[in-house]
Amino acid sequence: MTEPASVLELIASASILVQAVMVILLLASLASWVLIFQRWFGLNRVQREIDEFEDEFWSGIDLAELSGELEEREDELTGIETVFNAGFGEYRRLSAAGTTDPDAVMQFVQRAMRVALTHEEERLGRHLPFLATVGSTSVYVGLFGTVWGIMNAFRNVATMTQATLAAVAPGISEALIATAMGLFAAIPAVIGYNRFAARVEVLMKRYEAFADELTSILHRTVVAT
Amino acid sequence: MGIVRDYAVPFALAVLLHGGVLALLFQNWQPETEELRLYEPRVMDAKVIVMEKSVRKRPVPATEQPKPAPAPRATPPPKPKPKPPPPTPSVEQPPQPDPEEELVRAEQELRDRLRDLSAQSMQLALAGEMADLRDMEADVETMSYAEKIRQAIIEAWSRPPSARLGMQARLRVDLVPSGDLLAVTILESSGNSAFDRSAEVAVRKVGRFEVPKETRLFERNFRRFTLLFKPEDLLR
Repeated sequence: MTEPASVLELIASASILVQAVMVILLLASLASWVLIFQRWFGLNRVQREIDEFEDEFWSGIDLAELSGELEEREDELTGIETVFNAGFGEYRRLSAAGTTDPDAVMQFVQRAMRVALTHEEERLGRHLPFLATVGSTSVYVGLFGTVWGIMNAFRNVATMTQATLAAVAPGISEALIATAMGLFAAIPAVIGYNRFAARVEVLMKRYEAFADELTSILHRTVVAT
Repeated sequence: MGIVRDYAVPFALAVLLHGGVLALLFQNWQPETEELRLYEPRVMDAKVIVMEKSVRKRPVPATEQPKPAPAPRATPPPKPKPKPPPPTPSVEQPPQPDPEEELVRAEQELRDRLRDLSAQSMQLALAGEMADLRDMEADVETMSYAEKIRQAIIEAWSRPPSARLGMQARLRVDLVPSGDLLAVTILESSGNSAFDRSAEVAVRKVGRFEVPKETRLFERNFRRFTLLFKPEDLLR
């Protein structure tokens, strides 16, 4: 007997549709890994920024000074800084305009921060839907390729006078590669999605906690004046 | 651009990862059957230890004896040198002219013999493995021919109405190398003569079977084989 065909040969001899499925899955896998790495680094950076900012915030620095510092590099504010900027900026604008009613001031501040929080949540969770999609559909896409390949393999056998295992085996083997690729794309995507979704939630909790703290600090200053 | 900065590294990493996986797939991950390892026989140096004079004479013939048995044609004339009268090793020999030198020579000879032997055994092992490989191929081929023969007989066989489940007849078929039928004999009757006859007729009706062209294969499996007829099917 000849030596078993290599994976490459099997793929090369697969039907066009199965090959197309494989290419799609390869691209999906590639894209999902790009996003996994991107999210990974991105979320790590956000976490680092939160730590640094909170350290600075609780170091006893004057809030106006901190705000001025942030204002200088307004274009590249990220994450928690934008929340702070939104809240404190609103507060300053209102005090400059002479609004004195504490409830009205706090309402505006909270609203401004909520808007910033929503933006941040969207930024953190970016690409996660893609990972979820890849994770849940690529298995089916791979399965489709496999079913198609096996279907053809058996259809070819039907035309043969004698059906030996050797006649069906390569077709099935090549078809199963599609399933393997589907799983290969799906598993990391699902793991990545779950992990990042949990992390985004944790980060959002920290944002919200910070927003609440800022609110109470500002409230105190508003009432005191 | 922010996008380039954000995605360049992840993209590079992802491509690297996939490249690694693909490389693994296409190079290292061949099916393992390809690796046909040849285990080389280990060659050991057997040394004749020179002992006291009184004991010295005995080890030489003693070690000499096992050699001729495995490889009689390797070096037939080793005996003359060590000792002219080897058949009676236990008998105390008269002192030789120069036993020391003789021992060294014997030892050298032993080494040579050992080397020859190990080379031979390696070749033997190699040949054995090649034969195994060929057998495997032959088995597959044999199976496909057997399948064809089966198919041909099934098509030619019309089961008599009196055939019942559980009956079976065993027939011996003799073929000539061209695949033509030479003789068919009933080895084991089913107890039902109509059934036996139908089986025999089926074989005769096919008349000419597809057999491997290779004589070795034919001789081994198709020169003479038995067929087992059962009403539900027929099996070789």
